[in-house]
Amino acid sequence: MPAWYDCRRMLAVDAKDLTKTFRSGWFGRRRKEALRGASLQVPSGTIFGLLGPNGAGKTTLLSILATLLLPDSGSATILGHDVVREAGAIRRRLNMASGNGSFVWSLRPGEVLSFYGGLYGLSGRRLRMKVDQLIEQCELGPYAKTEYNALSTGLKQRLAMAKALLNDPEVLFLDEPTLGLDPDVSIRLRAQIALLRRERGTTIILTTHYMREAEELCDEIAFIKAGRILAQGTADELKRQIRIGDVISLRLDPAAPRGLGDLPGILQLQARGEHIDCTVDAVDKRLPEILRWLYEQGVLVRDCQVHEPELEEVFVELAR
Amino acid sequence: MSSPADLVLRERVPETWFVEVVRTWAFARRNVIMARRNVFFVFELAFWPGVAMLSHGLLTRFLALDAKMTAFILIGTVALSTVQVCQLDVAYAVLFDIWSKSMKHQFLTPIGIRHMAVGSWLVGVARGVTVFALMAVIGSWAFGFDFVGGGPGSLALFLLGCCLCSLIIGLFVCSLVLLFGTRAETSAWAAVNFTVMFSGIYYPVSVLPGWAQVVAAGIPLTYFLDACRQGYGFEAQFTHAWLKGFALTGLYVVLAHWALASAITRSRGTGLLLKLSE
Ligand SMILES: Nc1ncnc2c1ncn2[C@@H]1O[C@H](COP(=O)(O)OP(=O)(O)OP(=O)(O)O)[C@@H](O)[C@H]1O
Ligand SMILES: [Mg+2]
Repeated sequence: MPAWYDCRRMLAVDAKDLTKTFRSGWFGRRRKEALRGASLQVPSGTIFGLLGPNGAGKTTLLSILATLLLPDSGSATILGHDVVREAGAIRRRLNMASGNGSFVWSLRPGEVLSFYGGLYGLSGRRLRMKVDQLIEQCELGPYAKTEYNALSTGLKQRLAMAKALLNDPEVLFLDEPTLGLDPDVSIRLRAQIALLRRERGTTIILTTHYMREAEELCDEIAFIKAGRILAQGTADELKRQIRIGDVISLRLDPAAPRGLGDLPGILQLQARGEHIDCTVDAVDKRLPEILRWLYEQGVLVRDCQVHEPELEEVFVELAR
Repeated sequence: MSSPADLVLRERVPETWFVEVVRTWAFARRNVIMARRNVFFVFELAFWPGVAMLSHGLLTRFLALDAKMTAFILIGTVALSTVQVCQLDVAYAVLFDIWSKSMKHQFLTPIGIRHMAVGSWLVGVARGVTVFALMAVIGSWAFGFDFVGGGPGSLALFLLGCCLCSLIIGLFVCSLVLLFGTRAETSAWAAVNFTVMFSGIYYPVSVLPGWAQVVAAGIPLTYFLDACRQGYGFEAQFTHAWLKGFALTGLYVVLAHWALASAITRSRGTGLLLKLSE
């Protein structure tokens, strides 16, 4: 974590009890509660991960914060500006890119950037320089003459990212930025995201379904489910908070001794190849007990490893 | 306390009148690029207006109309084509984004309705004037129609009036599409032709039934057509037609702006703005 991390106190995003219900069908009779009192605080200069199952309300929450959607109730400020009353001020300082975004089909990358750059008020030499710089930064140079429709998914995503940097945003929302990208491109995009925060202090909120990505990039993570934030903290804090326990991975002979699952403190047993994963409540206490029991049963222990639960397991636990 | 976010130099563009021009120009430029890339562009621009001019011109021949009556009909033909071409460009400000599902990007930027409206309208005016010129050439060459018969001033006012009507129509189309989504597209244009029918496009409003004349009196194009035809020696249906036409236009521009602003706010509320982007 960077040295300046602790000196930041300002909240870039401060949302309180946001609710949003979508209505559809005749006279809005079909209702879908997308947010039910979501609150979120994001300190300035952090990379913040918003995780949750499909339909949890991640995109809805980001859209409200990005002034694209009006909340039914609750309040939110971005950099101190109210998302409903001061949308204009926010739009100058915020930007957003999403994995499934798209642009006008027959514009070339430079033209897309010039158009939106113009809307941000850039013109002349300054606009040209900005566009050139972003095209280089996002490695779009060789595709300068390619129309948007003819770009591959990865290139489209890079263009979306370039567009999102046009106004030097202080707050940047990335909605599933690595959706559908190959590992190589994803790695470079993640490096770019980390660099943005490091060099420019940009506050970044990203949603993703890749737990590795969240763990690698995010200072802090919030879990959202059914329109509510269930837990918030660093990846380690969440793992501790959710207390799904540590995992003892054993390779035994015979492979699956009867009665192992009945020992006290064992929460879950799961076969994984030749190994058995035992999730236990407290590894310090349970490991000697298990080994003693195995010894007494005459079971041969060929391998034994202890590891922390993955964020994925925390996710599955929370999403249940 | 300061964080690096404050230390990094972020040069924000100050909000000056020049920035207003830049934002407006961005929309104009996009419409121009899109027009250039559209293979049907020349077709759209020349074909339908050309067909309209020729068929209506031939009709006047068949009915053995004199030069004055021919002018009456052809003024209507020109007005309709100009308005249709010009309003399309205004609607493109929103339609391009709807067709490409990129609506939200535009509303993430700090723009106002005036920028999208005026920017795309300027391109519409250029197209409208081109269509007019084309029809003028065909009309005078094939049917001896004198387009400046009412004087250059009258002609300029008439064109301006038609283009402003297009601005209003285009903005209403944008509002409808933002309120009801893409399914509103066709009905929006149907509405355009429906209102034009009341404005006495190929006939004086006096032939309309009484209630329809009341509707006609509320449409600016009615006054522009009437004023233009007065220049060709037709009896005035309205006094101070130019003045009334432009006053009414001003009122409708304000109304259309308000309608679009409300439509945007509403679609931010219902989530349609997001739906149009996915
Ligand atoms: N514009 C909209 N109109 C109607 N319903 C919507 C709209 N946007 C989202 N919803 C509904 O609101 C709920 C939350 O959707 P949202 O897109 O916020 O979920 P998400 O967490 O982003 O999911 P995913 O991981 O699949 O992207 C879903 O049930 C969705 O169907
Ligand atoms: Mg989503």
